[in-house]
Amino acid sequence: MRSQIKYAIVIALAIAFPYITPDPDFWVSSGGTRALWLGVAALSMSFLNRNLGLMSLGQLFFSGVSGYIVAISSVMHGVKFGTSVPLAILAGTLSGVVIGWIALKTKGVYFFMLTLAVTLGLYSFANQAQEITRGHTGINSIPSPIIFGMDFAYVKPLYYLFLGISVLLFALCKFVERTSFGIALKGVRDNEDRMVSMGYRIMPLKMIAFVFSAFIASIAGVMGVFYVTNISPDSVGLLRSIDLLVIVVVGGATYLGGAFVGAVLIAVFEAIIQDFTVYYVGATGILFIVVLMLAPQGLMGINAQIRAKRAKSEGASK
Amino acid sequence: MTQFVFTFLNGITLAGLYFLVASGLTLIFGLMRVINLAHGAFYLLAGYISWTVVDKTNNWFYGAVVGALSLGIFGTLVYVLLLRKFQYEELRVALITLGVSLVLAQAMLAIFGGEYYQTNIPTPLSFTIPVPGLGLSYPFFRIFVLLLAIAVAIGLWIFITKTRYGAIIRAGVDDTTMVSALGINVQAVFIWIFFLGSLLVGFAGAVGGTTNSFGMGSDGDYLLFSLQVVIIGGLGSIGGVAIGSLLVGVIGQYAVGYFPTFAGIITFTMLILVLAFRPQGILGKKS
Repeated sequence: MRSQIKYAIVIALAIAFPYITPDPDFWVSSGGTRALWLGVAALSMSFLNRNLGLMSLGQLFFSGVSGYIVAISSVMHGVKFGTSVPLAILAGTLSGVVIGWIALKTKGVYFFMLTLAVTLGLYSFANQAQEITRGHTGINSIPSPIIFGMDFAYVKPLYYLFLGISVLLFALCKFVERTSFGIALKGVRDNEDRMVSMGYRIMPLKMIAFVFSAFIASIAGVMGVFYVTNISPDSVGLLRSIDLLVIVVVGGATYLGGAFVGAVLIAVFEAIIQDFTVYYVGATGILFIVVLMLAPQGLMGINAQIRAKRAKSEGASK
Repeated sequence: MTQFVFTFLNGITLAGLYFLVASGLTLIFGLMRVINLAHGAFYLLAGYISWTVVDKTNNWFYGAVVGALSLGIFGTLVYVLLLRKFQYEELRVALITLGVSLVLAQAMLAIFGGEYYQTNIPTPLSFTIPVPGLGLSYPFFRIFVLLLAIAVAIGLWIFITKTRYGAIIRAGVDDTTMVSALGINVQAVFIWIFFLGSLLVGFAGAVGGTTNSFGMGSDGDYLLFSLQVVIIGGLGSIGGVAIGSLLVGVIGQYAVGYFPTFAGIITFTMLILVLAFRPQGILGKKS
C-alpha cells in the first residue's frame, strides 16, 4: 500500500509539473520530456540488469534500429507514422532475437563488452552506409506525429504523451516481474545451475527477457526521433551509450525506478551545467566515477547502503 | 589485381597496428581480469602527446618514447587511484574506465579541438619499396609497423612464458595468496602489468598516429577495433590477438575496398559467426 501511495504522488507531481515549474518553455522540454525519453531507454537496461544480472549496452542498438526505420521511411519514402512506427518497433524488437542469440551465451563483463561492440557496430554502419542513412549528416527535420488532430510538435502534448508511455511501460515491467515468468528470471539470475536442475530451460527464459527489453528500447528509439526530430550516427554513438549507462548507474541499476530517477537527475544536471561549461559531458563523467566509487547502488540504493554500513559497524562494536 | 594486392598489404599492415593497440588490453585482462574500456581514449591521448613532441622536437622517436612512457605512467595512476580497490569487481571496474574515457575525451577535445592530426613519418623511414611483379611501390613505414608488431608479439611471448618475471606474473594471477606467501609483492606485480599494458597502447598511439590520421571520435573507433579483435581472438590470449588482428585487418580492408557501404556489417557478421561457434573466441579459454 505504501508504495502505491508513493507512485500516486510521483505521477501527480509529473502531471502537474508543466504548470508548477519556473520557465516552463525550457524545463518542460529540456527537463521533463528529455528525462522521460532517456528514462524509458534506461528502463530497458535496468529491467535486464535487475532481473537477469546482465548489464547491456546493446539497448541503444535496438533504439537505433527502430529510430532509423521511422526516420528513413517517413522522411525519405513518405510512409505514414501509423505504419512506420509499429513496423519500426517490431523490427527493433526482432533484432533483439538475433543479438540475444549471440550475446546471451556470454555473461558479466563479456556480455557488457559484446553488447558495446554491437552498438558501436551500428554506429560505424550508420556512418558508412550513406545511401541508406545519409551518413554523418543524419536525417533531419523529421515531422512530428499528429494523432486525432493533436499536434505533438507542441511541448506539452509531447510531454504528456511521453509521460503516458513511461507510466505504461513501468507498470508493464512491474507486472512482468510478478508473473511466474518474472520469478523464474530472478531464479536464473541468482542460481542458474539450480534452475537447470529444477527442470527449467534457461535460454528461452533469458531470450524472452532480452527481447522484452529490446521492445522497450525500440519504443525509446521512436520517442528519441520525435523528441530530437533528427537521427544521426551520434544518436547510437559511444557517448550516448555512456549517457544511458550513467543514468542507470546514478539512479540505481538494481531498481526499476532508478532509470527515471537517474534520467531526471542527469537531464537537470546537464541542463544547468551547460550554462557554466561547454564540456558538460566531462562533468557528467566525473559524477559517474564518483557515484561508482562511493555509492555503487546509486541514489535509490543509498538508504540500503547506509543501513548496511550501520548494521556492520554496530555488529563490530558488540 | 593491383587493387587486390594493395588491399591485402593495407590489411596486413593495419593488422600490425591493431595488434599493437589490442595487445595491451588483452595483457591486462588476461593477467588481472581488469577490462580497460578507456583503451581507445588512451590510444588517442598517446597520439596527441607524441604529435606534440614531434612537432616541437622534429624527432619521431622522441615522440614515440614520450607517448608510450607518459601513457604507461598515466595508466598506472588510473589503476592505483581508481581501480585497484575494486579490482575483483569486473563490471564495476569496466564502468569506471568507461567514465575515465568520457572525462578524457572531453579534456582532449578542450585542448586539441575537433581537427584531425597526423604525425609526420620520420625521414629515414619515409621511402617506398617496390612490390614484386606489379611495378608499383608501397610505403615502407607501413611494413615497418607490421615488423614492429611482430617484434612486440615475440617479445611479449618470451617475457611471459620464458622469463622469471613472466612466471611470477602468471603465478600471481592464478593464486595471489600463495605467491604473496613466497615473499613476492603481488600488488607491485599488478602495477607493473598495468604499466606495461598502458605503455603498449601508448606506443600504438604514437605509431598509429603516424600511419593514420586521428582526432575527436578516434577513441570510439579504436575501442571498437580492439574489442572486435579481442572478442574474435579470445580475451586474454596474445596469440588470439594476433589472429583477431589479422582477421579484422585483412577482411575489414577487403570489405572497405570492395563493398564500402556494408564494410561495418561484414566485419560484424564475422564477429557474430565466430561467437556463434566459439563464444569464448578462437583461442579463448572457457571461463
